[in-house]
Amino acid sequence: MKKRKSMFMSLLLGSALVMSACGSSESSSSSSADGGEWSPTKPIEMIAPAGAGGGWDTTARTISKVMEKENVIDKRMAVANKPGGGGAVGWSYVDKKGGDHTLFVTSPPILFVPLNGQSDLGHNDFTPIAGVIADYSAFTVPANSPYDSMNDLVEALKEDPTSVSVVGDSSPGSMDHMAFVKAVKAAGVDIKQLKYVSAQDGSGMSMLLGNKVDVYSTGLAEATEQARAGKVKVLAVTSPEPLEGETVSEFPTLKEQGIDDEFIVWRGIMGPKDMSAEARAFYEQAVKDMMETDEWKAQRDNFGWNDNFMSGEEFQAFLDQEKETMESLLKEVGLAK
Amino acid sequence: MDTISNMLYGFQVVLTFQNILFVFIGVLAGTLIGMLPGLGPISAIAIMIPLSYGMDPASALILMAGVYYGAVFGGSTSSILLNAPGISGTVATSFDGYPLAKQGMAGKALAIAAISSFAGGTVSVVALMLVAPLMASFAVSFGPTEYFALMLLGLTAIASLSEGSTVKALISATIGLIIATIGVDQQTGTQRFTFGSPNLLEGIDFLIIALGLFALAEVCSLILSRKSKMMGGNTNVGSLKITKKEAKDISGPIARHSVLGFILGVLPGAGATIASFMSYITEKKISKDPSSFGKGNIKGLAAPETSNNAATSGAFVPLLTLGIPGSGTTAVLLGALLVVGVQPGPLMLTDHPDVFWGVIASMYLGNIFLLVLNLPLIPFIARILYIPKALLISLVIIFCMIGVYGVSFSTFDLYLLLAFGIIGFIMRLINFPAAPLILAFILGGMMEQSFRQALTISNGSYMTFFDSTVTVVLLVLSVLSLTLPFIKSKLSKKKEEEEKEHLAS
Repeated sequence: MKKRKSMFMSLLLGSALVMSACGSSESSSSSSADGGEWSPTKPIEMIAPAGAGGGWDTTARTISKVMEKENVIDKRMAVANKPGGGGAVGWSYVDKKGGDHTLFVTSPPILFVPLNGQSDLGHNDFTPIAGVIADYSAFTVPANSPYDSMNDLVEALKEDPTSVSVVGDSSPGSMDHMAFVKAVKAAGVDIKQLKYVSAQDGSGMSMLLGNKVDVYSTGLAEATEQARAGKVKVLAVTSPEPLEGETVSEFPTLKEQGIDDEFIVWRGIMGPKDMSAEARAFYEQAVKDMMETDEWKAQRDNFGWNDNFMSGEEFQAFLDQEKETMESLLKEVGLAK
Repeated sequence: MDTISNMLYGFQVVLTFQNILFVFIGVLAGTLIGMLPGLGPISAIAIMIPLSYGMDPASALILMAGVYYGAVFGGSTSSILLNAPGISGTVATSFDGYPLAKQGMAGKALAIAAISSFAGGTVSVVALMLVAPLMASFAVSFGPTEYFALMLLGLTAIASLSEGSTVKALISATIGLIIATIGVDQQTGTQRFTFGSPNLLEGIDFLIIALGLFALAEVCSLILSRKSKMMGGNTNVGSLKITKKEAKDISGPIARHSVLGFILGVLPGAGATIASFMSYITEKKISKDPSSFGKGNIKGLAAPETSNNAATSGAFVPLLTLGIPGSGTTAVLLGALLVVGVQPGPLMLTDHPDVFWGVIASMYLGNIFLLVLNLPLIPFIARILYIPKALLISLVIIFCMIGVYGVSFSTFDLYLLLAFGIIGFIMRLINFPAAPLILAFILGGMMEQSFRQALTISNGSYMTFFDSTVTVVLLVLSVLSLTLPFIKSKLSKKKEEEEKEHLAS
């Protein structure tokens, strides 16, 4: 359950060092955001609402390091872990703390967890500051699977939705599950009877390789190496455009297979609800500046992330839209609370 | 032939001044961190990762693997001396290790733990070298039905973990199973027994229960029974010497559990903790004198200590051959590889043979370092027991709290720790064994999830449990393990009666 998260724990810590090691890179945009308006008056607390490990933690630490190293913000930005409840503990901490000096890293669970009834706080209880990166889901089958394309799989699902078992590392009604549900619904499958197995100890890939399940819905990074080794076939990735790069460019998108759907595993930054408009504008600009630095680009490529900057407003609109989509899907599969 | 040349290549990688130093630093840091109650290999590796940045990938993994098995090696120390498990893999070590220390044989217990760890580690590295690629398919051969049957087999042993009353052991186990259900149900997303608290959504951490039930409960007992000499103020840690007879006694368990531990370590769902429990139980079951277990039987110490170290090497099989993390710790190692620019996956052996063979070769060296480091240190480490009782007890409490807080950074967990300390103490007062609770907790959660995963996949058909040979064999073993003791005791009663009749006539 915590494995996938902890996988990345090292990343963040490592990245911490990365950055300090590359101290020579010149600061590019030290005073871009002050300009006499609002600027932080004390160290900023960056919350990763998960334990050391995990994508949230990696992202939080990478952002904070690049910010500090490149002097994007001249105050310290300290990362604190507030794990628990799939993010709920961290969110409630940020909510109580309030003010202009607390930020947190977030991603689709801020939509899924409240929709699943596991948190009273959702994205509307916070101030979206900026979208930062995007990742995608990949639907994989064993190398010897009878399914060679997403359409083969969709055909089988249309015939008998209970004939295919899908495994994912997250809980039912969360990312791995809903990414798949959303895609096959777009292809016209009756999603009410889909079989989803949750393997929160991170055993999804081993179940797939052992031929215990038919499909593994997972993140792109997990699928790529196995596909390169010929152990699995990637039936589809959920990116809007074909991906660039060795191996990943061979993965067909849903759209290329005639299924009009995409699923973005986005990550962004939010602040407390009562954050002032000036502070919000300051941080939005800071994130934008940070993403221009070479240090950020090096980090991003190292982790295989894709830039996906959204301004606070765009971010808010995107989240509202996503929430609506997911809510109706969850209702349809009977998981909405 | 191939293996030999590969191994030579591996040693070529390791035997540079730099890498030897990294092995040394890794195992030293690991063993020291492992000794502190609560701080396990995950925290230890997290501390080391910043150091690895910019290092050659092979060196980085050599360093961090050293921290990992070093921590498992060192984790036995606090289990034995303080009844406060250093890591979850050494909870079973305390069952017989702590009673030995109480009897003034702390030195001997630590020596046995070190030797068992060394043997388990070394044997399993040989296995890792010889069969890793072959074991890769074994690692993924276990699916939900197999894991269910494996966990069931473990649970059937609960009665054997009891001292005296079987009913009490079963009640204790039931409580463990109930605690395992706390949190968000993984298969449906429903909250169970969380009482609306977000702190309980992810369930209760194993370490909190272990430290509460064992370390804090022991502390409570010590505070109340002032006469007891143990923990502090003790002037006798005994000699390190192991007699010939003892050496002979532990050679059997060491041989058996090197293999069992390695196999369980290879399975991504099992790992060092389950391996150590399974080994302890197995050893007790096959023992001629099971009643001496839990009272300072050296076999009961050697078995889990061999097994957890063997499982540690085993966990490298799925990691190195498939790029699949077999445990929380190897998941962190996977992340560490990403940081140094190695994509973990099935192609690692071909893309980065230096990492693959280098790490395996480094583990030979690391295990020797650990033995050489630990044995001479024992008399000094055991001096912990000379610390005045009042001071030592406070230290244990502080370390337990640091360990728990260091994992979750949540004060709620500290209250939970306290609660389990109190529960553990009450259980002692009314003679309920704590071991079945912890065993049921650790096996129960996984057993339930596997059971339901299996049924989801099979569309609810129970026949799925008879589809796989491994599952059937494990189920049959479970039935035997449950019924044999009854049959045996009936037979022996009959025999006694017959003998009595015989005498009477």
